[in-house]
Amino acid sequence: MVELLLDPKIRLWVFLPIVVITFLVGIVRHYVSIILSSQKKIELIQVQDSQVMIRARLLRENGKYLPRQSFAMRRHWFNNEETGYFKVQKRPSNAQNPMTDPGMMTDMLKGNVTNVLPMIVIGGWINWMFSGFLTTKVPFPLTLRFKPMLQRGVELAYLDASWVSSASWYFLNVFGLRTIYALVLGENNAADQSKVMQEQMSGAAMAMPPDPKAAFKAEWEALEITEHRWALVTAEADLLLQNNVS
Amino acid sequence: MSFPRVLLTVGFISLFHSAFSAAQHRSYLRITSQEFTTLPLDIVIQAVGSLFAVMWGVMCIAGNLREIQAAAELNNSTWETQMNLPSFYIFNHRQKALSSEYVQTSGKGDLENPE
Amino acid sequence: MSVSLKANDNKPEPIAYSEAALRNNAIVVEYCRTSMSALSGSTAGVLGLTSLNGFAFYMFAVIILWVMFMIKAGPNWPKYYVSRQSILTNGFFGGLFTYVLFWTFIYGMVHVY
Repeated sequence: MVELLLDPKIRLWVFLPIVVITFLVGIVRHYVSIILSSQKKIELIQVQDSQVMIRARLLRENGKYLPRQSFAMRRHWFNNEETGYFKVQKRPSNAQNPMTDPGMMTDMLKGNVTNVLPMIVIGGWINWMFSGFLTTKVPFPLTLRFKPMLQRGVELAYLDASWVSSASWYFLNVFGLRTIYALVLGENNAADQSKVMQEQMSGAAMAMPPDPKAAFKAEWEALEITEHRWALVTAEADLLLQNNVS
Repeated sequence: MSFPRVLLTVGFISLFHSAFSAAQHRSYLRITSQEFTTLPLDIVIQAVGSLFAVMWGVMCIAGNLREIQAAAELNNSTWETQMNLPSFYIFNHRQKALSSEYVQTSGKGDLENPE
Repeated sequence: MSVSLKANDNKPEPIAYSEAALRNNAIVVEYCRTSMSALSGSTAGVLGLTSLNGFAFYMFAVIILWVMFMIKAGPNWPKYYVSRQSILTNGFFGGLFTYVLFWTFIYGMVHVY
């Protein structure tokens, strides 16, 4: 196999610009998504609801350390038919469709604008601008199977598989610079697309506000069936026993 | 400038210099149409040495390791920090009714929960 | 209470780790590892290593980084890490990808043209 000789100008005007463009686009995308991102507003009433839920759960779990009367008082405050918190509070059921919520829609749109659009636009531009160059050679031998991956845009049947075309060099950079973004921009940055995708997948269920009405009902039932069994009945006996031993 | 930063800068410059030396060497070989076997030893030593320098500099800059035992940090905190329990704050004590400036509010309290 | 404590002394005492400190240490290690991958990739490119030599150089760099961590932590490393092996092996392949990219990049810059 005869060694190919590439023009050094390709290095200066194709090879290096692709790396620099890819890197800078990642940085810009990070800052643009910071600008576009809207902080999730938390309603006061939601915080109140969640705190009440936490208190009810604590009472259920640790109520055994309270005297019977104290426990009954607290449960009465939650569960009483006329004045109990769970009975009095009326919350509208806000199980919303994400498509009808304009906030969610704009969030999704922003996500697409900052992630998918630059990928398509810059990728297409690089493909058009730097098409048909062989840019570099990977320093290790590869099998023929890698040819379509590494030599996109250059269809030469007899070329060695370790040569890399300009379009493929761009994609290698897009995927390989991810860890460098983490280094430069800090963890959890927006330039990292795969993480954002994961968040979109898993976060959809969690971001939805839970229906407070159903949660209140469940908590009310759980409290109602909780039986108060005081854990400290034998406290004095235990203390005396220990003193006898030591 | 602290020592690790100096080390980092010098190491980077040295690494770039060795890269340029290697590129020069390659182009020289190509012009004189000799076969490339290995780089000259001084370039190799310079590259590897500067790699070590930069790695050590990065490691010093990356930040201090913290002790992972949970008790390690609690040992340093003071009694006031330890005894600050937000769950036991009292905002609405009934003793305020004894004050001469006390004005009774009607019905439920300012907070929604009448505790 | 004293009785029950004495009974437990035979077993190895459970150690409580602070999660924030653990995460901080993991971030430091990750930072160093990413930098190390990029830098050693660049060096391998400058040296013009090809095929297996380059991967051997990566192994070499990983081990050097590990030794540096051990030197930094000193003799009382259990204060900082849960296990020494995990520093050696964590993120090995993620670093390898960065390494290969920089290796290819600098190799292309220096040796191909």
